[in-house]
Amino acid sequence: MSGPREAIFPTRMALTNTKLRLKGAQTGHSLLAKKRDALMTRFRAILRKVDEAKRKMGRVMQLASFSLAEVTYATGDIAYLVQEQAKNASFRVKAAQENVSGVVLPTFEVDRVAGSDFNLTGLGRGGQQVIKSKEVYAKALETLVELASLQTAFMILDEVIRATNRRVNAIEHVVIPRLENTIKFIISELDEMDREEFYRLKKVQGKKKRDAEAAEALKKKLAIEAGEAAEESAKPVSVLVDEEVGPGDLLATKDEDVIF
Amino acid sequence: MEGLFFNVSAGFLEGILRGYKAGLLTQAQYATLTQCETLEDFRMQLSATDYGNFLANEPLPISTSKISDKATQVMVDQFHYLRSNAVAPLDKFLDYITYAYMIDNVILLITGTLHERDTHELLERCHPLGVFDTMPALCVATNVEELYQSVLVETPLAPYFRECLSASDLDDLNIEIIRNTLYKAYLEDFDNFCQSIGGPTYDAMHRILAFEADRRTINITINSFGTDLSKEQRARLFPTIGNLFPAGNNLLAKADEIEQVRAVCDYVAEYRHFFDAAASSASRGNGGAGDDPTSAIAATLEDRFFATEVHLNKLSFLQQFQYSIFFSYFKLKEQEIRSLTWIAECIAQDARDRIQDFITIF
Amino acid sequence: MAQNQEGRNLLAIIGDEDSITGVLLAGVGQVSSNQKKNFVIVDAKTQPSTIEAAFNELTSRKDIAILLINQHIAEKIRPTMDKYTQTFPTVLEIPSKDHPYDPSKDSILKRVQKLVGD
Repeated sequence: MSGPREAIFPTRMALTNTKLRLKGAQTGHSLLAKKRDALMTRFRAILRKVDEAKRKMGRVMQLASFSLAEVTYATGDIAYLVQEQAKNASFRVKAAQENVSGVVLPTFEVDRVAGSDFNLTGLGRGGQQVIKSKEVYAKALETLVELASLQTAFMILDEVIRATNRRVNAIEHVVIPRLENTIKFIISELDEMDREEFYRLKKVQGKKKRDAEAAEALKKKLAIEAGEAAEESAKPVSVLVDEEVGPGDLLATKDEDVIF
Repeated sequence: MEGLFFNVSAGFLEGILRGYKAGLLTQAQYATLTQCETLEDFRMQLSATDYGNFLANEPLPISTSKISDKATQVMVDQFHYLRSNAVAPLDKFLDYITYAYMIDNVILLITGTLHERDTHELLERCHPLGVFDTMPALCVATNVEELYQSVLVETPLAPYFRECLSASDLDDLNIEIIRNTLYKAYLEDFDNFCQSIGGPTYDAMHRILAFEADRRTINITINSFGTDLSKEQRARLFPTIGNLFPAGNNLLAKADEIEQVRAVCDYVAEYRHFFDAAASSASRGNGGAGDDPTSAIAATLEDRFFATEVHLNKLSFLQQFQYSIFFSYFKLKEQEIRSLTWIAECIAQDARDRIQDFITIF
Repeated sequence: MAQNQEGRNLLAIIGDEDSITGVLLAGVGQVSSNQKKNFVIVDAKTQPSTIEAAFNELTSRKDIAILLINQHIAEKIRPTMDKYTQTFPTVLEIPSKDHPYDPSKDSILKRVQKLVGD
């Protein structure tokens, strides 16, 4: 018997249990495999989207920084003022959740409150450019937030798929073979025990037969002796034979049972 | 009469300045610049102009901000040369030019100081033309009251502050409102000063300053749509020397939408075409990416303003023996730097389709 | 996982001045009462160790959901970036004005490519 098996007593009960467990493992395996496939489909879709979004981001950000160049052209350098005036974030994100085959994926949603932080920037000159640039950047950020959700989903899915894969592989290559080995082991042990039992019974039977023959021979000898000696001694001998046959019958039925 | 003695005091500087003016980039030079593929090319093309080797010592990835900084430095050097050779009343006139930049710097310092920022970093960011000796002193202030006092004591802008703002305003008001209040006071004061010089200087300067005033008025109006700037506050920011003053200013103070602004500008012949042209180009869809008509019109409007400013400044060169050319030259130079930065930006960001959106001067 | 993202609603950014100006214009900036900011300006002179410290500080904050970082800056602390495996905050590499986006350098995209490849 090769391969690892569970430390278990080879009993009929254990056999039933192990068979049940094997069945469970197989069901689990197919379920997990299905889950993995579902996740993989999703994952591939996200991968494509991430790739796409990352490239899109390049363009969007370029557009955005160009709008900032327009601001600089019209207004001059506003970098410092903007940095100083930043106080409260009006552009925030809200986390929502999405469920893919039992995996909770967070998605970010843009949560914008109308802030008046930079409303007056460029009041005397270039205010419109500032507003425009603000909008362009807000749009660009929306793309970024979307990308961030995708990326988070990607990271989590990656993790989950790895875990699922590990489980599927573990079941396929470790748990199932081990259970199968255990079953084989139990069956073979039981067979072995049967054969031993059968042999033992045969042995017992043989012994009994021999004993019986010996007893018969003895009886015959006694009968001959008795026949020679006296007629009345025949009765107790028949009683003795009757007693011998009863247990023999019992053993025979049991034997059949075992073989069956 | 003043033309007779002009050359005694300012003839030399005017000569220098007209020399500088000849160094402004021409249409043909701009055309070559726009053909550049990389900033490296750009630098090489520029070295053939009056800018010379101003970028020669820069390490290789040249950033656009570096180009603009260096170009500004060239302008500042020219200014300082003129300033150190100037005598009254030109020295005062040149000082007035710096006040505009000073306003920006002081605003910057106020913002920075209120947020307890590093002084050196702040001073580095100041516009070099608006630097004054006592500037670092402003950064020592720790609270608003102290800051206000030191602004009054240390800066040439003290009169503007005294007239327009109190110490508590520095804390309460939006920094942009302070800036525009100061700028209004500055424009009016500058106009006043030019009037005291009189003659052709005032003629030319008033034209430019009036336009600048109107431009600010219109811009403030348009930009304050939809913000929490009240109409009374808005009216207080309007300079009172423009062609739109007083009737137009009053109307603009009450305006709620771009159409009303256009109606006001119809009264002034020079401004009428701004909106016509702006509107038509906006309807053609060239008005930038702004999706509502207001921002599209305003965006092109800004370009018209720049173009008109250049035009007015060019006009002042037609007349000799007056000071407005000093102002005009620096304005033109500023525009040139803006254009250069724009072209550099377009090259750096590979936005070829917009590269022509600058304003050539000659 | 779910409780991990509670209260994370800010964006943060490590970037050059232009990127930061733009992002702040859009209203991302948040300065807390003790002058702690959610944006870090990096210029050519900034040391990688400083960037790393900023990166670690921002990623360990509990109120940040997304951390934006300019790609050319991420490049300077690439080993740290590659090691970063936390789910939150999500680190996103963005292009900057002077440095167009290069997908082949992105830590995440590298993994994407690897996964798509096999």
